[in-house]
Amino acid sequence: MATLSPEERAALRDSVSRLLADHSAEADVRRTMETEAGYDAELWRKLADMGVIGLVIEEAYGGAGAGPVELELVMEEAGAALLCSPLLASGVLAAELLRALGDEDAKTRLLPGIAAGTSIMTVAMTGPRGEWTEDSIEVHATEQDGAWRLDGVADYVLHAQNADVLLVLAHAANEVLAFEVDPALVQIKPLPTFDHTLRLARIGFAGVSARRLNATGPVWDAVQQALNLALVALAGEQAGGARRCLEFTVDYAKSRIQFGRAIGSFQAVKHMAADLLLESESAISAARNAAQRLADGADDADAAISLAAFACADAFAQVTATSIQMHGGIAFTWVHPAHLYLRRARADAQLFGPPSEYRERYLEQLGA
Amino acid sequence: MTQEISDGDEVLREEVRAWLADNWKGLPKPQPGAGGAGWGASAEQKAWLRKVVEARWAVTRWPTEWYGRGLSDAQARIVEREFSKVGAPGAGQDRTNLWANTLLAKGTPALKARLIAPLLCSEVGMCLLYSEPGAGSDLAGVRTRADRKGENFIVNGQKVWTSGAATADYGMLIARTDWDVPKHMGISFIFLPMKQPGVEVRPLHQITGESHFNEVFITDATAPVENLLGELNTGWSVLQTALAYERSVMGEGARGPRSGALEAKSEEPLIALAREAGVLGDPVLRQDIARVIAYKRLNALNTARAKADLAQGTSSPVMSLGKLAMSRILHEEAKVRTAILGAGSLLEGPDHPRAEDANFLTLNAYFTSIGGGTDQIQRNIIGERVLGLPKEPEVDRDVPFRQVRGG
Repeated sequence: MATLSPEERAALRDSVSRLLADHSAEADVRRTMETEAGYDAELWRKLADMGVIGLVIEEAYGGAGAGPVELELVMEEAGAALLCSPLLASGVLAAELLRALGDEDAKTRLLPGIAAGTSIMTVAMTGPRGEWTEDSIEVHATEQDGAWRLDGVADYVLHAQNADVLLVLAHAANEVLAFEVDPALVQIKPLPTFDHTLRLARIGFAGVSARRLNATGPVWDAVQQALNLALVALAGEQAGGARRCLEFTVDYAKSRIQFGRAIGSFQAVKHMAADLLLESESAISAARNAAQRLADGADDADAAISLAAFACADAFAQVTATSIQMHGGIAFTWVHPAHLYLRRARADAQLFGPPSEYRERYLEQLGA
Repeated sequence: MTQEISDGDEVLREEVRAWLADNWKGLPKPQPGAGGAGWGASAEQKAWLRKVVEARWAVTRWPTEWYGRGLSDAQARIVEREFSKVGAPGAGQDRTNLWANTLLAKGTPALKARLIAPLLCSEVGMCLLYSEPGAGSDLAGVRTRADRKGENFIVNGQKVWTSGAATADYGMLIARTDWDVPKHMGISFIFLPMKQPGVEVRPLHQITGESHFNEVFITDATAPVENLLGELNTGWSVLQTALAYERSVMGEGARGPRSGALEAKSEEPLIALAREAGVLGDPVLRQDIARVIAYKRLNALNTARAKADLAQGTSSPVMSLGKLAMSRILHEEAKVRTAILGAGSLLEGPDHPRAEDANFLTLNAYFTSIGGGTDQIQRNIIGERVLGLPKEPEVDRDVPFRQVRGG
């Protein structure tokens, strides 16, 4: 995987940061989250032009050919700005699954569209409990005369309502296989989400015809590879969100006056801020470390990713929850942005499995 | 990171190597027991350090009139690397020797001439006379007094938490020399000779049962005027210089991740303990164990990131978080160790080493969360210096110290 020089990285980060400052400010987020699609088509196109959507897609397929380290940095900015978009679903999870499967025909047909932002793709896998495990897959595939049909349900599918191609994992006779499905053939029920900047849907499959994707190795390994990259991206989003939320909370503590002085001068408030700084900086360290270990193909990459998964989830949740308390009444109002960050933090902490699951995995990866 | 190696650097490297090859023959292992490790150098060590100092390898960044060579930091690191390669001590003291650095920066010519070489050779022992029973977190509230009488200061008062006081030749003392100005403005910084009748050292008994610290009672002790560092009544700023050296030495000691791919190389002690106790399968304990291991790992990652930032010339907020993080690690690890042992933690003594470990850690964790500035003071520092939050109003600010409440 190609990686950029430190200067190129900084430039990429700056340009994403500036784009999001202009087009994903609080008012933009609030407007976008109330739309049905849940993302801004114009911003999506700009992100594509900048190379962000195809960031980790190989250059041969229209992408920028960057790696986890660059992705994590960009996601820090996305998290800070509460970007509403199918980036994680399409440019990260689906694109990486296609790469990991190694189906050359599918890559050639599908990846350039993802990278250009003209096609949105998502991965349908989780069952009714929303778990990313092989056992929880509730879609079953049957073959007749060389034609595959799918039956069952995939739940909590990211941005399924916006997708024009679905990548579906299904149980076949005694293995998990990957399929490409036309969303026009399935029943897609958008789900009301606590995080209004998120889009989830439930997909019903009833004898739907599907194109089987070839895999150069076990399909489940490919899923793990895609999930690992998605976890790194999510960790970056959480770390960036935590840092931004702490920034505006500290700014408020400097300007809000009670008892004749800034509330941030009270140790009761100041000490909360200091504790949150430890959380948010630790999240940044964990997310960047996971990205670097994955980029290096290190033996301990899995453990580094598990660590980032729960450390960043917990940090984002704690920073956003405490932020509301530190603000007081103003952050209990709908018009204040603090609850938008809390909602995102709570969503991110469940999206690919809860922190407790990653703590358990971390221990297993350490040999316990 | 790549580093340009110039010809001059290569000549320097060769010079150090040749000198070490000619002179370094190793040192006998320090005798265990007898007063604890670390305090007091052996005769062989002192002789070696004297050699290093005379050959100008001890403080290469310093000016030539004080045993230095005026080298750049990068060049000095070359010298230090060669010393560390062969395991020879004594180089890099311009980074690590708190006493000598403070003295060089702020001492009178007479005191420097008398003590710098002996300090670099570990021929004189030192201790810190900062904290007092009535001046802990509020260090500027010291009430030990130093009154000028002829060519001497007469010192009276009490100091506490002094390690090495019993063997020290000098103590770096902060004492009040003007009671009619606000607290920070009436303090002076003095090298107090410890071996005199007016200085009485009594060991403190810690909650762990150990005695690493002392109380020092000072009654009409004397220090010559030339032992004053900085100007009279500017001791607070001298102290800041000394504390900065102390912190940078502590920062040097902070360990990053053990150089990369070691996420799962050797088994974590907590996992080993739980395995031995037969509770590694307990799902609640597993969550707690994972949390504590993560705290440790995150702190190591933070430290590594801060160092990388510093190396690139950008300051990092992360360095100041280390002490707070370490407090949490120690207290939480103590809790988890106790939970793993359960009723076993009720016991103590040599037949119960696991309980001894858990119970010792439970108590000794306060060494970090109180010592060197409590967690609460540390949170103030982070809040004010890193996040830029305003200070609490101080009721003793701008008040002559004589009128300030103590106790």
